Amino acid sequence: MEDKKNCTGPLMIALQYNDLFDLDSISTSTDTDALPKGRAFTFMKAVQTVNERLVEQNKSDCLLFEVILISKECSEEIKTKIVESVKHYGLEIGKFFFCKKEELINTLQSNKVKLFLSTERDDVYEALHTGIPAALLYDQADDHVFNQLTVIFSGDVIGFSEDSLDGLSEFGFSETQIETIKTAKICMKEFAVLIGQMRRRFGQENSPLCTCVLTSWGSRNVCASALKTLREWGLDVDEAFCLAGAPCSPILAVVKPHILWDGGLLNMS
Amino acid sequence: TALKIPAPPAPKPQNAITIAVSSRALFNMDREQDIYEQQGMEDYLKYQIQHEIEEENIHVCHPVIQAVEAVNTRLRELYPDSEELFDVVLMTSNHAHVGLRLINSINHYQLFIERFCMTGGNSLIGYLKAYHANLYLSADSMKVREAIEEGIAAATVFSPGKITEVPETQLRVAFDGDAVLFSDESERIYKAHGLDKFFEHEKAHENKPLDHGPLKGFLEALGKLQQKFYAKGQRLDCPIRTYLVTARSAASSGTRALKTLRSWGLETDEALFLAGAPKGPMLEKIRPHIFFDDQMFHVEGAAELGTVAAHVPYGIAQTVQSKTARDVKKDIL
Repeated sequence: MEDKKNCTGPLMIALQYNDLFDLDSISTSTDTDALPKGRAFTFMKAVQTVNERLVEQNKSDCLLFEVILISKECSEEIKTKIVESVKHYGLEIGKFFFCKKEELINTLQSNKVKLFLSTERDDVYEALHTGIPAALLYDQADDHVFNQLTVIFSGDVIGFSEDSLDGLSEFGFSETQIETIKTAKICMKEFAVLIGQMRRRFGQENSPLCTCVLTSWGSRNVCASALKTLREWGLDVDEAFCLAGAPCSPILAVVKPHILWDGGLLNMS
Repeated sequence: TALKIPAPPAPKPQNAITIAVSSRALFNMDREQDIYEQQGMEDYLKYQIQHEIEEENIHVCHPVIQAVEAVNTRLRELYPDSEELFDVVLMTSNHAHVGLRLINSINHYQLFIERFCMTGGNSLIGYLKAYHANLYLSADSMKVREAIEEGIAAATVFSPGKITEVPETQLRVAFDGDAVLFSDESERIYKAHGLDKFFEHEKAHENKPLDHGPLKGFLEALGKLQQKFYAKGQRLDCPIRTYLVTARSAASSGTRALKTLRSWGLETDEALFLAGAPKGPMLEKIRPHIFFDDQMFHVEGAAELGTVAAHVPYGIAQTVQSKTARDVKKDIL
């Protein structure tokens, strides 16, 4: 039996409702029972798969994912629709929060959210800027597999030294951006530690959780530094990519991550 | 607030001549491979991590990579702003657990490999395409076969039986003709109807270009780089030299081969027509950094006499089960 005192879970992830459901196609949707599926759907399914496999191994495992849904201001009608839709699709959403945009950061902080996921880069960046762990919910193709959750950590954020990060100003990064990147590293650590614990519940092969390092700017030695650091944090990643400046979009299109921790570094045009 | 993120000073992969090499084409991992095959993944990874600070022994593709870097140095001198250079990428399905050892080894030998993909067991095809790989070299014949089927130029590399000194300042690449540069259409005729019919057919179709084979594109890429040297008056001193080493004979069937190349706007610096004689001795004289052939008989023959030979698993000659690199090594050593 898992000692409650040693329980480090759950790993709370916050999603925004407009990522879970596609509100733009409501008018064209034929399904009147539920809102149309949005970009976070495959992520939800993958998270549920990981939880199922964790529980399979240990019924009383408390280090599980828990997803909460954050909605900005909306009508009572939409609120009901959201809750009903979640039930309709069998999604495991722990809590619902309906709050104003200004309250978003507070809501995330007070609920000890370990990760705020959004497809909106500006939202992710803003959250990171205030010290909230945030990563990009990578836009998934419809045909993505559901049986594995893929997380990418930025090798640049983790592997670059303090001095090298300061040197990014020469490449056009602002002071604010550099500070945010440094904050992102701290946020990444806590998340990586938890993911590392989760990852170790499974073997090398047939794991429902896949972890990767992507070094976009740095050299192979920056990537090596990231690998070492992640290992110190308790996470031996499965895949590693070092691009040394080459565009990352083609590689991301093959890896198809769900969670992309880039700290505001990756230009994905 | 729109988040303005600078783009890295990025070389565009499509401008470079990308050569993707696997970890076992680069480093000797026989002992590790044994552990993987006999004891499984977990023990294999444990071993790699335990031996992390020991660099791997450099292996078969090393001379190719060194020569390629020598060409790059010359290209940078002549065209300082150009992205048209060789780019060697490590493309392995190994787990990132082995990453530190691989990076340590690359550092140890000071190889110019800045980009890599370690896919943790996933297929390499998507990544090879994402990198616009012009050539994929691996010790794993199944992966090579998969790549060829996806239209990617690929070959299984085999170690030479003895070490041959190859030039350090000139990259030499030797190609077989049929089923490597050309399609296997003529080889099919030879196999079905014999030598005489083959000669007859080739003579009759002398002026009809053969269809292209899996490595035509790579020869084309080499040719483009060669042109850059010619444009600066360095034809005699060109650091890239290509060879056609074919079993065709100069007297008859060879003509169609040359005319086909010409129709594609391509050429090789030298064309050796062996009329069926073994290729090993000729290659021993040429000393190429790598030789591509679709028939294991020729690959083994070349390797025995000291040439780094690579098998292109394409066409009608692939009726016999492909040998692995280690089988060939066991046969030779």
